[in-house]
Amino acid sequence: MPFKVSELVNDDATLVSRRCWTDSDVYELEKKGVFGKSWLFLGHESQIKQPGDFVQAYMCETPIILARGSDNGVYASINSCTHRGLPVCRADHGNAKRFVCPYHNWSYTVEGDLVTIPQERELQSRPDKSQLGLKQVPRLESWRGFYFGSFDKDIVSLEDYLGDQRFYLEAFLDRFEGGIEFVGAPHRWVIDANWKLPMENQLGDVNHGPFLHAAVIPPEANQEIIDHGLSAVTEPGHGATFRLMPEDTPVDNVAWGMETPGSILGSAEVHEYLRATQAKAEERVGPLRARMKGLTYGVYPNLSFLWSNASFKVSHPRGPGKVEYWSWSVVPADAPDSIKKTLRTNYTSLFGPGGILEQEDSEVWSQQFRGSNFDFADDRPYFYGLGLNEEKPHPDLPGMVDVTANEHYARAFFTRWRDALQAVEE
Amino acid sequence: MSALSLTPELQLSVEQFYYQEARMLDSRQYQQWFALVTEDLRYIVPSRVNVMVNNRERGNEDMISIERELEGTDSDGCPLREEGYLQMMIRVERAYKMNSWSENPPARTRRLVSNVEILADEEDVLKVISNFHMHYARPGNDNYLYAGQRRDTLRRVDGGYKIAHREVVLDYANIDYPTVGLFF
Repeated sequence: MPFKVSELVNDDATLVSRRCWTDSDVYELEKKGVFGKSWLFLGHESQIKQPGDFVQAYMCETPIILARGSDNGVYASINSCTHRGLPVCRADHGNAKRFVCPYHNWSYTVEGDLVTIPQERELQSRPDKSQLGLKQVPRLESWRGFYFGSFDKDIVSLEDYLGDQRFYLEAFLDRFEGGIEFVGAPHRWVIDANWKLPMENQLGDVNHGPFLHAAVIPPEANQEIIDHGLSAVTEPGHGATFRLMPEDTPVDNVAWGMETPGSILGSAEVHEYLRATQAKAEERVGPLRARMKGLTYGVYPNLSFLWSNASFKVSHPRGPGKVEYWSWSVVPADAPDSIKKTLRTNYTSLFGPGGILEQEDSEVWSQQFRGSNFDFADDRPYFYGLGLNEEKPHPDLPGMVDVTANEHYARAFFTRWRDALQAVEE
Repeated sequence: MSALSLTPELQLSVEQFYYQEARMLDSRQYQQWFALVTEDLRYIVPSRVNVMVNNRERGNEDMISIERELEGTDSDGCPLREEGYLQMMIRVERAYKMNSWSENPPARTRRLVSNVEILADEEDVLKVISNFHMHYARPGNDNYLYAGQRRDTLRRVDGGYKIAHREVVLDYANIDYPTVGLFF
């Protein structure tokens, strides 16, 4: 690499080099230092309920099969035949007894064990199949039904990794008595952007909303963020933005789901459901979090969440300048089917590849890569200094907290990112 | 359902309707186009998943039917879009705002509509399928070709037609278009 990692991000991370977004050597370091050393989201238990159920996932560019085994356990295998490397699982999701490699029909259980080598019948020797199963992801843990994998066998537990970010995630997940479920397969699309920008966007950058999305987001929605919005960083790389509504806020102005198109246009039944859910919020998540009306979250390195639109998203890198973006709608698991079908449109109307807001986001993410990927401007790194040192501990909320215009979430991310790359730099 | 009495006049009138619609959309006359939809419009773009062929239907056409790949309104999965008149109105209004950044400068489109097949004529509504290619060129981006099928319910209104229901089946394996939030 023609430069050191320390040259990419300055001490207080107020300056971030263009090369962070475009350089292929930086990307190779990211694979080792970030994706090789983190917990990466694979899937949710609601997607693999029955033995044999599987979904595909990725850890960076490595294809993973997340499956429910015949013993009801959950397994994460690398989707690559031990013989010639082909993917043995060829569907996005489904239910299977065996994964069969098309090339020579070696076959594997959904747990990843090799069971058949058709060619061995004609040969004298018998390979030791117990040594030839699909490579297992070294660490696999779940929290609240969310399965994460890690290539780092020595990584801290998933709970410790999430740390106080759980406080903010639970504010959403624990609101629903039956928990949440993922609605079908993810929407997946390719954006000519660096993976970090979609991540940064939801880690804390709600401040782009009134500018990039002014054609669609009404001014009063922005005023609510100015009046009540907060940005919290529990530890570098994680982030949560939300509105902490006053105690006397009418239920319709604080209840989850009320402010999004599907619900607004939805039936009285939907509105009653959302009010009833909010009525139980104080008991379920406590009085403080019952007043939380979330905006966007990020979990290091590449998982994001949108509160109002109820969507989880993963930014899978495909090189420095390409992202395969995955997003799911999530709904309360115990809601009636008709209500689930309405609530999923809270996501599709605005986000996903057809979303009216997302089309602006994808455009600027790809334009940012274009705006970074040229020469003779490296003496102008990007300015990340808005609100430097203005964040403070909060009496009731975990993490460092400030207004959403403070870019502390991004400085914290790039500090962690820089340190992670330096740890694997030669 | 009455037996379809297909006449050249009927076929011609439906084709003419689609050509006018395509011309308005390519000319960015979305406000005029919006007069071609009913207020109870349903506009659906199913998502399309990659699933293995249906083993139980081996040897039959159902084994590889397209419907198995579609996650539409009735599915437990998640369509790409399921919208009504109001969402479509927001999209139309958005097109005429300064800060619709992904369309400013505007993209260029050209729609070709063909294979117009009238499946049913039920007094006040027609069920019609058609194929389309849409060339899409956004400044600063590559050029893209969208291909798909439209499954329409057209309602007879004032001697013409309006779109009451449109399901757009897009023929992508992976979405590498800038958006599927367009008027197909």
